[in-house]
Amino acid sequence: MTLFWKLTPKTLLCAAVGMLVSACGQATLPPGLVYCSEGNPESFNPQVVTSGTTIDATSHQLYSRLVNYDVEKGDITPGLATDWYISNDGLNYTFNLRHNVQFHHTDFFKPQRAFNADDVLFSFERIINKQHPYHFVSRTGYPFFQSIGFESLISSIEKVNEYQIVFKLNRKDASFLSNLATDFAIILSREYADQLLIEGEPEKIDLQPIGTGPFQLNQYVKNEFIRYTKNPQYWLGDIDIEHLVFDITPKSTSRLAKLITGDCSVSALPKAGELAIIDQHSHIKVDAKPGLNVAFWALNTQKPPLNNISVRRALAHAIDKQNILDVVYNDIAVEATGILPPTSWAYSNNLPANNYDPAKAKNLLDKAGVKDLVINLWAMPVARIYNPNALKTAELIQADLANVGVKVNIITYDWSIFTQKLVSEDYDSVLIGWNADNSDPDNFFTPLLSCSALESNNNRSKWCQKDFDHLLTLAQNTTNRADRKSYYQAAEAILSDQVPLIPIAHAEKVLLKRNNITSMQVRPYGGIAFAKIKHNAQQGNQ
Amino acid sequence: MWRYFFRRVNLFFATTLVMMAVLFYATHQFPVDESYALSGISNPSAEQLEHISDEFKLNSNSVVQFLAYVEQRFSGNMGMSINSQQPVFEELKTVLPASFELSLVAGLIALFLGVPIGVIAALSSNKFVQWSILGLTLTGYSIPVFWLGLTLSLWFGVNLGWLPISGQINLLYQIKPITGFMLIDTLLSDSSYRIPAFVDALMHLILPAITLAVLPFTLIVRITRQAMLQVMNQTYIRAAEARGLHTFTIIIKHALPNAMIPVLKSIGIMLGTFACYGIIVEVIFSWPGVGSWLVSGIYQRDYTVIQAGILSVSLLIIFLSILIEFIHTAINPMSKKELYATN
Repeated sequence: MTLFWKLTPKTLLCAAVGMLVSACGQATLPPGLVYCSEGNPESFNPQVVTSGTTIDATSHQLYSRLVNYDVEKGDITPGLATDWYISNDGLNYTFNLRHNVQFHHTDFFKPQRAFNADDVLFSFERIINKQHPYHFVSRTGYPFFQSIGFESLISSIEKVNEYQIVFKLNRKDASFLSNLATDFAIILSREYADQLLIEGEPEKIDLQPIGTGPFQLNQYVKNEFIRYTKNPQYWLGDIDIEHLVFDITPKSTSRLAKLITGDCSVSALPKAGELAIIDQHSHIKVDAKPGLNVAFWALNTQKPPLNNISVRRALAHAIDKQNILDVVYNDIAVEATGILPPTSWAYSNNLPANNYDPAKAKNLLDKAGVKDLVINLWAMPVARIYNPNALKTAELIQADLANVGVKVNIITYDWSIFTQKLVSEDYDSVLIGWNADNSDPDNFFTPLLSCSALESNNNRSKWCQKDFDHLLTLAQNTTNRADRKSYYQAAEAILSDQVPLIPIAHAEKVLLKRNNITSMQVRPYGGIAFAKIKHNAQQGNQ
Repeated sequence: MWRYFFRRVNLFFATTLVMMAVLFYATHQFPVDESYALSGISNPSAEQLEHISDEFKLNSNSVVQFLAYVEQRFSGNMGMSINSQQPVFEELKTVLPASFELSLVAGLIALFLGVPIGVIAALSSNKFVQWSILGLTLTGYSIPVFWLGLTLSLWFGVNLGWLPISGQINLLYQIKPITGFMLIDTLLSDSSYRIPAFVDALMHLILPAITLAVLPFTLIVRITRQAMLQVMNQTYIRAAEARGLHTFTIIIKHALPNAMIPVLKSIGIMLGTFACYGIIVEVIFSWPGVGSWLVSGIYQRDYTVIQAGILSVSLLIIFLSILIEFIHTAINPMSKKELYATN
């Protein structure tokens, strides 16, 4: 027992020294960058998902695309394809491919050859060809490609030579190049796929990724972190960041805390109220840009009572969007009248919106003869760019609808279970949204509300209307912007009239970063990219 | 003494068996398929299904099933985590040391600060010192741990920016787990960033450890004080004083060892609460230990993780309580006397 007494001064001394070290010592960190991400990726292949979390963790870090989107100009720029030309009838797209692009060199895969047309062929054949050995390796299908009807669009993909490939389409599609530039259209390695087939483990292609991107996967521990190291042979030249770590931190407040204390350098998706705290910390910068996204309340149009159009119209008039903007978004968003955000070129502000009018809502419900309406409202448990706090939004909607005599039950699950159940279970309505993958307006319509989206379970309203689909096809068939704009406006008018969903807001995309991070830009659409980030060496705890 | 020892070991096995029975029963109440709740394999193939039913004897009666369940769980077959599809046992091996590290440091802080302060409170003739120590410990004892954790992180993390408040280490340091104790592993690693990594791990430990230490600290202070007051009135202390021994020697040699006995007992009683506080602290500070692992398992309906988490935490508490009780009896002459009188 005497031991206790004797040790005490020593312990105190140790503690004191510890505090001293903490106060004056600048911790030296290994070169690299920590990004506080909000959740676990479902897969390491963006082809097989639509979730933004997975896109962030994979698309621009591990892979490259044939063509890219220039954030500044909104133009298609070369990626793995150096140039391309389109035949006069708009049906053949020929791509010339880049030479000497190397795939990741890892412990489990040593590439013998550089990237070539076989890899492009493999990456897209996998999606469109049901006989392909890799087609059914994905258990979730290819939701983005299914939702835009990619399979029926492509007649064939032909390899001309090692470095030239032709995509032959069945019909004209003005959004084709834009779709190839999305985060989903990444290029996999054919050689790696062949190796995995021989090893008998094809499912590894989506879990142990090999790509041509700026980083390669080092280690992934679910719920904890993803570690990347830089790809020394990256085709776009040297990268500033040696190590990239995604610190998986689902709680928004924890992400903020880690940013303030220096455990991470970049973070996204702050809750509205947290921006005020950030203002007090001069070493943290907020980057906000109007995003190409929309948060909406999708109504299941196949299930009573929401199959009744009057009920849907009534709900649209019953919710106070301005209140939601104030409370949930803290005014870093604009009210949505239609599904297209104001930053899209096809947007028009003279749309007949379903404005807030509880009396009219009540009237509509009375006329429809609906009484004691009870609906289930599914709300996402996680913050998304388009909706930082869906549960809060759901509560506000609950209160609004109580005013017109409609009872709302809010249902929520953990994110991965939530997305699974959305596919398998019969919900009444769901609060969800869409973050655009490219700046083409088609990206807001076809993947979300077309009949083909219904088949791929991406159509949360379970709504399919011939006139609407026809308008979308017309818009795809022409490259004339004025015509396309009028088609999309007509489509918006149908949405406003039929109310398969109620658009709520277009949020600004907010990125938080410590001020030693330079040249990082917010991309208005798609996932986050770290390849071009520069950060200066000054590190430490403060 | 041996007889007492075996009785305690018996008690340990009996309690464990009861706990396993409760867990076994609860597992069958999960609203999912039996084989899924036991193995964590979603959509098992026919072979896997057969294997699972073979392992857990699902076709036999419930007694055989229970025995198979106990056998599987104690041989390390905890199934797969439903959420991460990793073997639960492997995950347990990484989260348990993290929790041990935190509780050990918190426990040591409480002990090494609590005992001397308790002695000072007992012996000081200064009313102000006495009352302020008592007042402070009562305040510490009454503060809810979640509030304390949040307040400390708000002050030292967010407002002052002195200490990190989330996680175990900055993730840029790539530390290979050897012992599982981050502080030791950083020193053992061969990276050139060894020392900064150690300092960083230490910084991450300070706030959670202090938060967790407050409850045992206050308890230890109060009980030490009470025990010391009692001991100091004993005749043998007066005899020692009469022999002219130095007060310091009296405290260290004669008073403190006797005063420690009730402290030890109260530590044993406190274990359950301490574990519960540990879970809360881990969640607040995102400490990657068994507590936050269990809580996220609960949120994600990860049935195998829930079972393994409850199993390991309760097993630990049962084991440690019985161990402490045994030590208490072994070093306490009074209870020895009681034992020999009754046995």
